[in-house]
Amino acid sequence: MKRGKSLVLGVTTVAVTLLLAACGNSGSKEAVKTDTASFATGDVIATMDSALNTDVIGAQALTDTMEGLYRYEGKEIKPAIATKVVKPTNNGLTYTFPLRKDAKWSNGQPVTAEDFVYAWRRVVDPKVGSQYAYIYEGIKNAADITTGKEPVNSLGVVAKDKHTLEVTLEKPIPYFSQLMTSSTFFPQYPEAVKKAGKSYGTNSKTLVFNGPYKLENWNGPDSSWKEVKNTNYWNAKAVKVKTLKYQVVKDPSTALNLFQSNKLDRTAISGDTAKQMKNDPHYSTLQKSATFYMQVNQEKNPIFKNAKIRRAISMTINRKELVAQVLGDGSSPIASVTPKNMSFDPTTKKDFVDDLDAAGKKNASYNPKEATKLWNEGLAETGQTGKTFNYTLLGDDTDTAKKQSEYLQNTLQKNLPGLKVTLANVPFKTRLTRSTNGDFDMVVSAWNADFPDPITFLDLFVTGGDNNGGHWSNAEYDAQIKASKGDNANDPKARWQNLVKAQDIMNTESGVIPLYQSGVAYLTNPSLKGLDYGPSGSYNNVSLYLKK
Amino acid sequence: MSKYLVKRIFYLVLTLFIVASVTFFMMKLMPGTPYTNQEKMSADQLRIMNEQYGLNKPLIQQYFIYLGGLLHGDFGTSFQFNNQPVLSLIMTRLGPSLQIGAQAMIVGSLLGILLGAVAAIRKNTWVDGVATFFSIVGISIPNFVLAVLLQFFLAFKLQLFPIALWDGWSSSVLPTLALAVAPLANTARFMRTEMVDVLNSDYIELAKAKGNSKWQTVAKHALRNSMIPVVTIIGPMAVNLMTGSLVVENIFSIPGIGEQFVKSIMTNDYPTIMGLTIFYSFLLTVIILVVDILYGIIDPRIRLSDSQGAH
Repeated sequence: MKRGKSLVLGVTTVAVTLLLAACGNSGSKEAVKTDTASFATGDVIATMDSALNTDVIGAQALTDTMEGLYRYEGKEIKPAIATKVVKPTNNGLTYTFPLRKDAKWSNGQPVTAEDFVYAWRRVVDPKVGSQYAYIYEGIKNAADITTGKEPVNSLGVVAKDKHTLEVTLEKPIPYFSQLMTSSTFFPQYPEAVKKAGKSYGTNSKTLVFNGPYKLENWNGPDSSWKEVKNTNYWNAKAVKVKTLKYQVVKDPSTALNLFQSNKLDRTAISGDTAKQMKNDPHYSTLQKSATFYMQVNQEKNPIFKNAKIRRAISMTINRKELVAQVLGDGSSPIASVTPKNMSFDPTTKKDFVDDLDAAGKKNASYNPKEATKLWNEGLAETGQTGKTFNYTLLGDDTDTAKKQSEYLQNTLQKNLPGLKVTLANVPFKTRLTRSTNGDFDMVVSAWNADFPDPITFLDLFVTGGDNNGGHWSNAEYDAQIKASKGDNANDPKARWQNLVKAQDIMNTESGVIPLYQSGVAYLTNPSLKGLDYGPSGSYNNVSLYLKK
Repeated sequence: MSKYLVKRIFYLVLTLFIVASVTFFMMKLMPGTPYTNQEKMSADQLRIMNEQYGLNKPLIQQYFIYLGGLLHGDFGTSFQFNNQPVLSLIMTRLGPSLQIGAQAMIVGSLLGILLGAVAAIRKNTWVDGVATFFSIVGISIPNFVLAVLLQFFLAFKLQLFPIALWDGWSSSVLPTLALAVAPLANTARFMRTEMVDVLNSDYIELAKAKGNSKWQTVAKHALRNSMIPVVTIIGPMAVNLMTGSLVVENIFSIPGIGEQFVKSIMTNDYPTIMGLTIFYSFLLTVIILVVDILYGIIDPRIRLSDSQGAH
């Protein structure tokens, strides 16, 4: 049977080919490299142009390979390219930064004040199109430059000489030092930018680096990249790990498999994989400076103007259960819209959240009986007793967001008689647009800190704020925020009190209903030490080292 | 034949034009902006951005500007990958997706033909039973379940193949297998059904009467005649592979194009959405053209040229 033999031959060939391929794969035990740390990351680098970057992946790559005036070490701001952390003069309006004379770019050229001036002008230049230009507001002429009313070179930043940078503000910015750690304020090497033109930051060949590492062989949307120690970094002797490798891994079970095969030293995990690994010795969680909260639309539905109604809604939610069962990813309940671990009292060093009034925070604890009571009282006060309400809860359309909405719907309907909740889960951008336009009854929103200071959260909810889609308004709240920016801008202690009071006011009447602080679950190789996740949302990898 | 080709290519271009236009207008209807930092920018800032990127111009004007760019081969630059030209974005990511897609299609159809033929020839024996069972299982299991199982058992436990990432040919084996099973099962079923029919026809009896051995009969006559329905499903199979590859790429962390497509839709990255839509449409229409030509080669009765006229 000629044909039969051919058949057997064919199948055998296929089988042998597969086996050969398998043998060719040396995927088994590789020697554990002691000079390389491998990380999994959630996405590709969108751009390495510090003026254009908007996401945390890019921010991390920039923090690894570039450096600004200051850098976070632990919770402290330490001088980096600047030689010291300076205090402003001229009533908080002028900052004079002395720069190190030994800071160099990876091409051997010195880092000068002019490099900062050049980069900062690019950020506010409308032609460059930075989506973070608004963070420069307060620096002289920044706002007018972004709207095209003033020329780019009128920006209040000057190179007094090669190693002195002078910044002039229009009004004091109390969190200015924190801003100086952010990648949007990093310097750029002008020749590199001019030479590359529009393609600056789209591949590693266009870049020059002044940070602890250099990005090698990176091209646009590569799904993996390598960072090699930059020997021209002024503090190169402090950098211990020679190579950092990043791989994009989106599927949590793939990440787990890779981690358990020693292909990764650290990876984030989520969903069921995270819940499954909760008791594993390699498991740990990290709190991000981001919170999720619910907004209720007072303008559309006047019932939400009543504080007792809002407090009732807040008290039906068992945040511990929500976080443990629905999310399971290291997020933690929060009683304020401002997160923990981000901002500390300038005198006592206490966490902002611990400084808050306990009574106000109680509105975010689970108390269904009290919730029903307050709901009924609220209805009585507004003359709505016995009425039914049909509201839509707007949320994102990811699996987690849908489960979250279902959880909220369930608990709200269970404890608040007469309330019926319909769910609307839409794509992220749609939710954003509808939120901004006030096109919702109730919505689950989130906010990520732009810089580690409570004002980045609290500013959202002043009367008429752009992101205050629920239109909550409190005159005393507004006054406290205003004072923190005006009268007390130069008085850290008094300013801190303004911010604490403002948050307390919001908490007392549940102006916005806090849900949880975003967290991430990780699996980490125990040999990887010195992980330093800073308040700015990036890791300081200078402190990283591998235990042999 | 060449007249036919010219006519088909004309229709191809027309199809692409219509798809691009419809997509353009539907895309612009999506709420949201293409700016990655949308929620943090004020209305004023968004207005300035829109001016910069020409998004404040009337829709029709934007449409013609886009078409004009297309004629010059300019697909624009991505919003999520600042300043990256869309064309180079697609090109760098295309390789892996095409490779596993093509491999899955080849493996799936060839093995499927083989399996279906064997099942038909050994109809109602245990061979047939096993093949049919395998086909049903193959169609029922979603390819992402298969992907996770293959990854866990063959890569993680037995360490025969890489767990994930794209690092040489062996990285493509598991994704190909995961994607190939459904096409394989479908092809096998079609092949079996068609071949059973063909094996019962008169000309097969004649071939056997002429003294051809069973396998010769199959090879020379039955196989070719059973292929028509198989060729028919190559089109839809290609579509399924294109969309199915997204999840498999995700699981094996392959730097492919499927994930790019979904992400660009979620982030309102207009130029990338347009570029990828046009690209996928182009791929599909070319495949359909190739399928139609294949018909002509396999079955002379379906030769399509004007001189033949209608049948």
